[in-house]
Amino acid sequence: MNTALSSDIASQLIALLAALMLVVQLLLVVQRMLLTSIRLFALQSLFLAGIAGVVAFFHGAFHVYVVVVLTLIGKVLFLPWLLDRQVRRMRIAQEIEPLVNFPTSMLICGGLTLLGYIVARPFTSLERLGNNTLAVAIALVLTGFFLMINRLKAITQVLALLTVENGVMLAAVALTTYGMPLVVELGIFFDVLVGVMILGILVYRIRETFASMDTSKLSQLKG
Amino acid sequence: MFLSDNAFFFLIAWEIMALTTYLLVSFEHEKEEARNAGVLYFVMSHIGTGCLILGFLLLFQASGAYGFDGFHAIGARMAAGPRNAAFILFLVGFGIKAGIVPLHIWLPVAHPAAPSNVSAMMSGVLIKTGIYGLTRVCFDFMGPPPNWWGVTVLVIGTVSAVLGVLYALMEHDLKRLLAYHSIENIGIILMGLGAALMFLHTGHPVLASLALIAGLYHTINHAVFKALLFLGAGAVVHATHTRNMEEMGGLVKRMPVTAFFFLIGAVAISALPPLNGFVSEWLTYQSLLQGFGTTPSLIRLMFPLSGAMLALTGALAAACFVKAFGITFLAQPRSAHAAGAREAAPTMLVAQGLLTAACVFLGLFPTLVLKLLDPVTQQLAGLQLSTRLSLADGWVLSGAVATGGTVSTPGLVLMAVCLLPLPLGLWLVFARGAKVRRGPTWDCGLQGLTPRMAYTATGFSKPIRMIFKALFRPRREVQREYDFSPYFATNLRFESHVEEVFLTRIYRPLNWLVWRVSRRMRALQAGSLQAYLIYIFVTLLLLLLFAL
Repeated sequence: MNTALSSDIASQLIALLAALMLVVQLLLVVQRMLLTSIRLFALQSLFLAGIAGVVAFFHGAFHVYVVVVLTLIGKVLFLPWLLDRQVRRMRIAQEIEPLVNFPTSMLICGGLTLLGYIVARPFTSLERLGNNTLAVAIALVLTGFFLMINRLKAITQVLALLTVENGVMLAAVALTTYGMPLVVELGIFFDVLVGVMILGILVYRIRETFASMDTSKLSQLKG
Repeated sequence: MFLSDNAFFFLIAWEIMALTTYLLVSFEHEKEEARNAGVLYFVMSHIGTGCLILGFLLLFQASGAYGFDGFHAIGARMAAGPRNAAFILFLVGFGIKAGIVPLHIWLPVAHPAAPSNVSAMMSGVLIKTGIYGLTRVCFDFMGPPPNWWGVTVLVIGTVSAVLGVLYALMEHDLKRLLAYHSIENIGIILMGLGAALMFLHTGHPVLASLALIAGLYHTINHAVFKALLFLGAGAVVHATHTRNMEEMGGLVKRMPVTAFFFLIGAVAISALPPLNGFVSEWLTYQSLLQGFGTTPSLIRLMFPLSGAMLALTGALAAACFVKAFGITFLAQPRSAHAAGAREAAPTMLVAQGLLTAACVFLGLFPTLVLKLLDPVTQQLAGLQLSTRLSLADGWVLSGAVATGGTVSTPGLVLMAVCLLPLPLGLWLVFARGAKVRRGPTWDCGLQGLTPRMAYTATGFSKPIRMIFKALFRPRREVQREYDFSPYFATNLRFESHVEEVFLTRIYRPLNWLVWRVSRRMRALQAGSLQAYLIYIFVTLLLLLLFAL
């Protein structure tokens, strides 16, 4: 296969997958059901794994395969399963109640995505793979952050944090040709894993204590 | 702290000092008063430290290093704005520690709350660190001073001295009285420093050295006699279990040694010859009186004016210690506590005795001690002043310049000794044969005198309270209960208050404002996770937009 052609295909694929990640993120913003949200997150992680796979395949960076495998096992299978189980076990209401209503959140997220593109523009020359991957990554981080603010349940906040982490991962892949050094990637990955497990336990405790997962009720803790 | 040659280490030592002092002030923590005093001291001290940090940062901007040798004369290379800002910051920062008016409010609260030996240390050493810092900054770091610095310091010194002694006169808490006198003496020291700054501006190195030496010598002297007075007060408080002078009295019979030492301290602080307070105040007078001729501008009026204020301060201080000594030690005991008082333990007396000896020594042989201050003037003006200050092999102290006066405390003592035969002779001639008759004090025909008839501290200071009515805003309240005529009251209640203008007019409103603002600010820390996330998020967005 011609290298110019293959790198062209690679960047097209990456751009497509990145765009899909963003679409999933926006779906998450307007998703009413908790379990569906978890599945959407799994889907987003799948796309991320796809991007990493494309990078590994077309650029011959074999250590990135490790990232692919870890993402698949961790974020696509294990974490969604964990969260899913927790949600079912605690028998919490499926309905997500956001602070800002859906049309408005959609508008805000649109603005944030735009901001991501504006912020990323000076760095387009640094991007080696695909177009606008960095912009999508920043947009993911910003909307993920907004998602965290907009949700009241602790478990949805964990979910939002995970999407932020996906955005960071995407930026790492986009800015460096072969991804970050393996050690760093492993570090980030295990960070997230341990973080989520701890958060899961905390969420459980919060529910035990307050009979609710609404973090805005945490303010009752202060004197 | 005195040894540090680096701003960082200086600040660390400064803070360690502040923290340990806080612990010492609140040593008797079971008393609410001591706890409040500790907190007040803590807050004031930290405001001061904040000012110092900012000031040092300003100096650092100019010199690029934190070492004190790098700061030397750095002010000359600084722009006028930051330089003046640094001066004001240092003045406030060190001024709080020194207790200048109007930053003095912690002093009369913290001193009485602390144990007496701690008060002695605080008055003798702690507040002097403020003077040290100010001297170091003004004369070492800042370079040639503009005129208004000296004027500011001189005015602050004068105001502190006069107000300090006036408030001291109104006190009937023995230790609070001494605390207010610390403010007064800091004022006198600052008068010397301020005059020195002004002389530096007009280019009179000899006079500047003289004024600086006057201030520094008074620093030493104040440390000695104030420590003595606090130890004496501590012995009295220990014996009578009260700090209220109105409940003392008659202690001179019960604690003669303490009374004698306290008297010496009182004479020294009242600047009466031949003790040490006199010498340093005399030097301050000399420099102030010489100042009138140094500059043709109207500013020169400052010198005689503050000289007059210094004289007023001295007189009021003497009045105040007449009151302190008279009410505490003389007359009849006014309470059972005072009647049952015992002389202090020998160890306490030894400490007081040593300080008394130091008072006398510093008063009689100032020229010996002034030699030690030579390096200071050497660095400042390149001249050693002690040779000019001492005449006749150190027996006579001179005003350093040709038009200055001279004084000799040993001479005064000698003269007193020489004059001693005169009354002795008179006694021998006229009173030899007379018999000594002991009888009761004249009681206006009433049936014996009771302690309740004695002159009280409040009564003693009444004339001064009336003269300075505008400042004190005295308030009194009399409630009479009577059956048929107001002249035959069955029950009488009398209350009298003096308003502390600085507390009620400056600090209370300020305190109220801070409370209000902080109550508003509390809404920020709502305890809501979402709110905190929004703060972070908005900050992030702003930073992103700012970077564009």
